[in-house]
Amino acid sequence: MDTYEIKFRVNGNDETLGVRGDETLLRALRRIGYVEVKLSCEGGDCGACAILLDGVAVNACLMFAAQADGSEVTTVRGIGTEDDLHPVQEQLIEKGGVQCGFCTPGIVVSAKALLDENAAPTREDIQRGLAGNLCRCTGYKKIFESVSAAARQMTEGGDS
Amino acid sequence: MEFLRAGSVDEALAAARDGAAFVAGGTNLVPDVLFGRKKIARAVDISRLDELRYIEEADGKIRIGALATVTDLLDSELIRDAASPLYESALEFAGPLVRNRASVAGNLMDASPAADLAPPLLAQDAVVELASAEGERALPLSEFFLDYRKTAARPEELMTAIVIEPLGAEDRCAYYKLQLRRAMAIAVLGVAVALRMNGSVCADAAISLGAVAAVPYRAHAAEGHLRGREIAEAEIEAAAAAAAESARPIDDVRASAAYRKKMCGVLVRRLLRKALGMTQGVVA
Ligand SMILES: Cc1cc2nc3c(=O)[nH]c(=O)nc-3n(C[C@H](O)[C@H](O)[C@H](O)COP(=O)(O)OP(=O)(O)OC[C@H]3O[C@@H](n4cnc5c(N)ncnc54)[C@H](O)[C@@H]3O)c2cc1C
Ligand code: FES
Ligand code: FES
Repeated sequence: MDTYEIKFRVNGNDETLGVRGDETLLRALRRIGYVEVKLSCEGGDCGACAILLDGVAVNACLMFAAQADGSEVTTVRGIGTEDDLHPVQEQLIEKGGVQCGFCTPGIVVSAKALLDENAAPTREDIQRGLAGNLCRCTGYKKIFESVSAAARQMTEGGDS
Repeated sequence: MEFLRAGSVDEALAAARDGAAFVAGGTNLVPDVLFGRKKIARAVDISRLDELRYIEEADGKIRIGALATVTDLLDSELIRDAASPLYESALEFAGPLVRNRASVAGNLMDASPAADLAPPLLAQDAVVELASAEGERALPLSEFFLDYRKTAARPEELMTAIVIEPLGAEDRCAYYKLQLRRAMAIAVLGVAVALRMNGSVCADAAISLGAVAAVPYRAHAAEGHLRGREIAEAEIEAAAAAAAESARPIDDVRASAAYRKKMCGVLVRRLLRKALGMTQGVVA
């Protein structure tokens, strides 16, 4: 079986690892400990594996790890830390946008990518921005409210 | 599976042999390999070939580089202004995570009957450019899809660009993707129409259909009821009926064949009326 040595940065850490040609980026990330990137459908349908690849939100399950050689990967843990949460993370907690939490890492990634491009999203913008993320618990309403509140918090700098 | 990142188009072409497949966004190929639907000996990664990622106007045409993503289509003013059915199909395509990786060429090369970008590209007389170590050739998209998931591209050929005729301000067009929900859904039916009008006379007509046959196609018989004629209700009815007649859909989990065939007529009628700015009549 062919293996390849690849290098990328994950949340600012330089990582060097050997991968099989057909190993997905999702499986490789989890194998080296980034288990906050969730493995679920492995077919692009659920968004639980969402990461930022060079700043762009993508499904880690839909690429080969070797395709990410030389890239910058950001997972949910690189978006905010426990002591310094991103407004999206803060508001998901505040507004009850988290139940089992399995979808949350992907939701945070998609929501951050949305807010980076659109500081004042409408409800429809938020729905479209999170269209690739499934949540089986919340019914989405509280997630949408959380993202909306995060947008207000970021533009007004205040709480909502 | 061997993995090789191509540093240039020439390197990609040289590596395309012995059971190799190109991988662009990977949104089709990666799960196909993971779940064993496709066995490939070598993946030739073309996703970093930035020279194939562009959308530009050249010689009165729109050139779309093979690696332009669906997100790139949405970010392009040229596409929004001069290829609005394609723009609308991009809006209805998957969700942002997939759109950020999915390439235009990958959508065509995968050759799903339901490939969303195919009907709008067909409606704008798309020509695809293919390259191999032996040379280059160009082929109308209408001759590219041969049968269910079968294309005219040889295994070693790389699609490098898709070239379309821009729509002008005087052109009338419309697009619709019939789907079970407004995101992340495979089309039940995709329809694009584009009409070049000379007063009330239709100088040229394009009607293309996806997900109602083994391949996306131009409904030539339906177009024949419009081209060169003054368009009124009777012409629209005839075109809609001919479009439905041309459909050869299948039953699947998303819809029955009979429903697809019926909706084919309904949507062609609706889109022609919409394109022409006619008030909506009662839809049968
Ligand atoms: C969750 C999900 C949702 C989706 N939703 C939609 C949707 O709404 N509408 C839709 O139409 N499709 C959809 N797709 C399918 C897919 O995303 C698209 O077809 C996409 O455009 C494929 O592009 P890619 O760059 O990812 O192709 P890849 O997966 O990289 O490649 C696909 C095929 O094309 C070949 N190939 C790629 N580029 C070239 C090239 N330049 N020259 C020659 N061969 C090439 C590959 O070898 C492979 O066989 C969806 C897929 C997923 C996983
Ligand atoms: S695990 Fe990647 S989208 Fe579901
Ligand atoms: S909180 Fe459980 S899946 Fe979203």
